[in-house]
Amino acid sequence: MKQAPQEAPSDAGFQIAPMIDVVFVIMLFFMVMAGAVKVEHELKTTLPGNAETAKETEIPDEITIGVAESGQITINEDPVGTPQDKTLDGLFNEMTKLKQAAIQSKTKLLITVQAEEAARYERVINVLDVLARADINNVTFAVAEPE
Amino acid sequence: MAGGGGGGDGEPEFQVAPMIDVLLVLLIFFMSITSSQVLKVDKNIALPVAAHGVKRDDKAAAGLINISWDKTTGQAKYKLDDRELDPNDKDGIAKELAARKGTNEKYRLLIRADKDCHAKYISKALEWGGEAGIDNIAFSGLNREE
Repeated sequence: MKQAPQEAPSDAGFQIAPMIDVVFVIMLFFMVMAGAVKVEHELKTTLPGNAETAKETEIPDEITIGVAESGQITINEDPVGTPQDKTLDGLFNEMTKLKQAAIQSKTKLLITVQAEEAARYERVINVLDVLARADINNVTFAVAEPE
Repeated sequence: MAGGGGGGDGEPEFQVAPMIDVLLVLLIFFMSITSSQVLKVDKNIALPVAAHGVKRDDKAAAGLINISWDKTTGQAKYKLDDRELDPNDKDGIAKELAARKGTNEKYRLLIRADKDCHAKYISKALEWGGEAGIDNIAFSGLNREE
């Protein structure tokens, strides 16, 4: 068979069009992946017993939210929702009401989250997340001593 | 103007100078968004979801305690940044945290614990913070389910 004569290699210059293609593909990839990015959030609390003595002491409305080992949430020992309920809408509604009442009566709302020793960290975070959702900032966290 | 004529049929030549300009701008952009303090997180920890928390402020000084959970033994392992801690050395840990805190009143303790970890192990880390005089505590969670 007769072979085609090979051409001398010409100077391969930089091609802008394929580079733009590649850049667009990379950009699309990052745009799609941006939606799936997981970011770490933080929930702020303070340690219990952190009293500012220099200021005049106000008596706050103190509420204790209990987190049981089973996952049951209680407000001042009254159960709210079920242990499987992750969204904790009942707790959120109660907290929103308490927040509104505290604003109206111009008192400070202080929430103490008290977990049982064997309560799961995820459940504690569920509660703290609900408090963040209800825009409650004065939150302390403590672990109940076994009786 | 000489040499300024466009619209020729020839291939546009690749210009190195503007590419270097663009790369330098990108470099400055990435340098500016990178925190000066890099937290050493433990990627093996399965964090719970905290969708309503605030985005983690990596610029604020914080002592990071990673608490991983061993499901088989039901025990927690503590790490301060990436260094493993002996949970019985309460004084040593508190002393180290106090030294890190110094006079910074805004210094906080950032707890990154596994979602299955029991609250009593979290409490232990909080005790160390309390001993070191740190009362600002932040718990880490993810913005969405894994």
